[in-house]
Amino acid sequence: MNVVVCVKQIPDPAAPSSLDPTTHNLVRTGKLILDDSDSYGVEMALQLAGQVEGSEVTLVSMAPGGEVSGLRTALAMGAAKAILVSDDALAGSDALGTAKVLAAAIRRAQPDLVLAATESTDGYTGTLPVQVAELLGMPSVTFAKSVAVEGSKVVVERQTEAGYDEVECPLPAVVTVTAGVVEPRYPSFKGIMAAKSKPVDTLTISDLGIDPSEVGATGARQGIVQVAEAEARSAGEKVVDEGDGAQRIVAFLEQIKVI
Amino acid sequence: MFQWTDEQQAIRDAVRRFVAEEIEPHVEELEHGDMAPYDVMRKMYATFGLDQAARAGFRQMLDRKQSGDAPRSRRPGDSRAAMTLIPIIEICHHCPGIVTALGVSTGLAGGTIMKRGTPAQMERWGLDLLTLDKIGAWAITEPDSGSDALGGMKTSARRDGDEYVINGNKTFITNGPYADTVVLYAKLDDGSDTPVRDRRVLTFVLERGMEGFEQSKPFRKMGLHSSPTGELFCTDVRVGRDRLLGETEDEPGGGGRQSAKDNFVTERAGVAAMALGVIEQCLKLSVAYARDRLLWGKPIGDFQLIQLKLARMEVARLNVENLVFRHIEMSEAGQSLTLAEASAMKLYSAQAATEVAMDAVQLFGGNGYMSEFRVEQLARDAKVFQIYAGTDEIQVTHIARDLLGR
Ligand SMILES: Cc1cc2nc3c(=O)[nH]c(=O)nc-3n(C[C@H](O)[C@H](O)[C@H](O)COP(=O)(O)OP(=O)(O)OC[C@H]3O[C@@H](n4cnc5c(N)ncnc54)[C@H](O)[C@@H]3O)c2cc1C
Repeated sequence: MNVVVCVKQIPDPAAPSSLDPTTHNLVRTGKLILDDSDSYGVEMALQLAGQVEGSEVTLVSMAPGGEVSGLRTALAMGAAKAILVSDDALAGSDALGTAKVLAAAIRRAQPDLVLAATESTDGYTGTLPVQVAELLGMPSVTFAKSVAVEGSKVVVERQTEAGYDEVECPLPAVVTVTAGVVEPRYPSFKGIMAAKSKPVDTLTISDLGIDPSEVGATGARQGIVQVAEAEARSAGEKVVDEGDGAQRIVAFLEQIKVI
Repeated sequence: MFQWTDEQQAIRDAVRRFVAEEIEPHVEELEHGDMAPYDVMRKMYATFGLDQAARAGFRQMLDRKQSGDAPRSRRPGDSRAAMTLIPIIEICHHCPGIVTALGVSTGLAGGTIMKRGTPAQMERWGLDLLTLDKIGAWAITEPDSGSDALGGMKTSARRDGDEYVINGNKTFITNGPYADTVVLYAKLDDGSDTPVRDRRVLTFVLERGMEGFEQSKPFRKMGLHSSPTGELFCTDVRVGRDRLLGETEDEPGGGGRQSAKDNFVTERAGVAAMALGVIEQCLKLSVAYARDRLLWGKPIGDFQLIQLKLARMEVARLNVENLVFRHIEMSEAGQSLTLAEASAMKLYSAQAATEVAMDAVQLFGGNGYMSEFRVEQLARDAKVFQIYAGTDEIQVTHIARDLLGR
C-alpha cells in the first residue's frame, strides 16, 4: 500500500513571526519546521503502513528555497521518501494553486491513500485537502478521528459536533485527520541519522508540467485584502460567591449555550 | 565546529521533547525520593531505540574481543560523542541526578566490564548494564580515601586457593543502594609483606544479595537528590576467579589502577557537558526573570549589576560550549583529549556552573531561594561537579603535573 502524507513546513510558531506589509503573506525566510498538525497524519500513515506488508509512506510538500528540515523530521519518524516541490514561481500561491501543485506531485506517487491534516497551523484555510481530492478525482473524508484500511476501502470515524459518523469509501481516497487522534512517535536516534540519506525528490513546476500562470501570485484567485488587529478581549464577568456562586455560573453557561 | 549540525539539532529537539514530557513534570518526585531515576532512564532508552543500539554495539565489542582485536579506538567520522553528550546537556537543564545515575551505570560500571572483562564476563554482566536491564555501580571511594583512592584503598581481596575473600567498605557510591551489579576495586592480599599502598589493585564484579555483601540506604545529600548515593559493605565476601575482571591478576592493560584511570577522560568530558546544561538553563531562566521582574517601575534587567550577572553567565556558556564542541570535534577527528586537557575542561566547567547557578539564585532574590523557581536546585546540584570525578584540587594537580613534567 502506498500512503502519501501531505506535510507543510512552516515557520517555527515559537519564534517571532511577521507578515509581508504589501502581500500580507506570512514571511517564510529562515528555517521551516514540520507543522505540528501534520505529525498526526505522518503517525497515522506509519501505523496504517505497518499493518500491510510491503507498504510505504511517501511525504509530499511544497516549500520555498528547497526547504527540507520539516521533511527530515517526518523521514526520521519512519517515512520512506519525500517529494518536494520548490519553485520561485510558487510564491504567493493561494490554496487552489497549492492544491494543483500537490495534486500533480501526489499523482506521481500513485497513492492508495492520501492523508492530510484538517488545516495547517500557520494558514488555517482548511480548504486544501478537499481541493486536492477533487483535482485527483478521489473521494474525500474529512475530520477523521480514526482510520482503518479494510481491503480496498477505507473506514473512517468522522468527528461531528454531536459525536461521530462512520464513513466508508473506496480507495484511493483523501482523508484528513484531526490533531490528537494518535500520539506522534519520537524519532529514534538511528531514524534521525538515517533520515539524511533517505531520498527527497525535489521538483519544479515545469517538472510537473504546470503552467506558471496557473500558480503563484499570478494564478491566485484569492488574495488577502486587509489585515486587522484582533479585537482586545474585554474583561470577563467576575462571580463573587455569596453562597449562590455555583448556580450563577450554571446560569451563565446556560445563557451562552455551553450546557 | 561552532554549532550543532542539522542531525544533532534533530536529536536535541527530540530529547528536549522527551525531557519536557517525561522528566520536567516529575522533577519534584525525583528530587524527593518518591521516584527512582531508573524507570525514566529505561523509558528514554526504549523511546529512542538506545537499548537496541546498545545491543548492536555490544555484539560488535564482543566480536572484537573474541577475535582478539584491540577495542575500537576513536576513528575519524565517529559521531558517538555528540550523540552521548546532547542528551546529557538536555537532561541537565532539569535533572543532573539522572545523568549521574545513568552515566555511572552504563559508562563506568558497564564500560569497565566491557573493556576489562573476558567475553564470558561481558555476556554475563555487560549487556544487561548497557541496555539498562540491570543497574550498575562503580565503587572505588572509601571512607578513608577519596582523592587518594588507589593508594589509600583499604578494601582487600585475600587470595584463598583459587578464590578471593573480600573485606572493606566503600562510600559515596552512586546507585549503591539499588545496583544489581557492582564493579568494585580491592587491594590484593597475597600473604606477602608488600606495603598496602603498593599492592596490586584488582577489579571484581559483585551482585546484589551475595553473602556478606550489603548495600546501604541512600544518603541524605546537599543536592543531586535524584541520584541515589550510598555505602557498600563487604564482610568475607567469597568470590571465584570468574568474578575477577579479565579472570587474571596479571592483566595486560595495566590492571585495576589503569582500569580506574581509563575512565577519567570520558567522565570529565561528561561533567563538562552536564555543566553546560546547568549553565544554559540558569541563563535562560535568569534572562526571563530579568525581563519580567519589575522594581521601581522597570525590569531589573535595566540595572547594570543584573546585566553584569547575565553577561558573565553568557561568557561562561560560550566558554563551556566551546570546550564541549572541542571535545566533540576531536572525537570526530579520531583523537581524544589528554588527561590534563580533560582535567582543565572539567575544572573550568564545574566552577563556571556553580558560579552561574549561584548568581542565578542571587538574581532571583527571595524567589531564587524557593524551590518553585528551580535555580536553587541547580545550584545545589552543580556544586557536586567540583567534587566528584576528581575534586577541583585534584584537577589542578593533574594539570600542573602535565605542565611541569613537559
Ligand atoms: C554525589 C556523589 C557521588 C559519588 N559517586 C561515586 C561513585 O559512584 N563511585 C565512587 O567510587 N566514588 C563516588 N564519589 C566519591 C568522589 O569521587 C569523592 O568524594 C571525591 O573523589 C573526593 O574524595 P573525598 O570525598 O574522600 O574527599 P577528600 O579526598 O578527603 O578531600 C578533602 C579535601 O581535600 C582536598 N585535597 C585532596 N587531595 C589534595 C591534594 N593533593 N592537594 C590539595 N587538596 C587536596 C580535596 O580537593 C577536598 O577539598 C561520589 C561523590 C559524591 C559527592
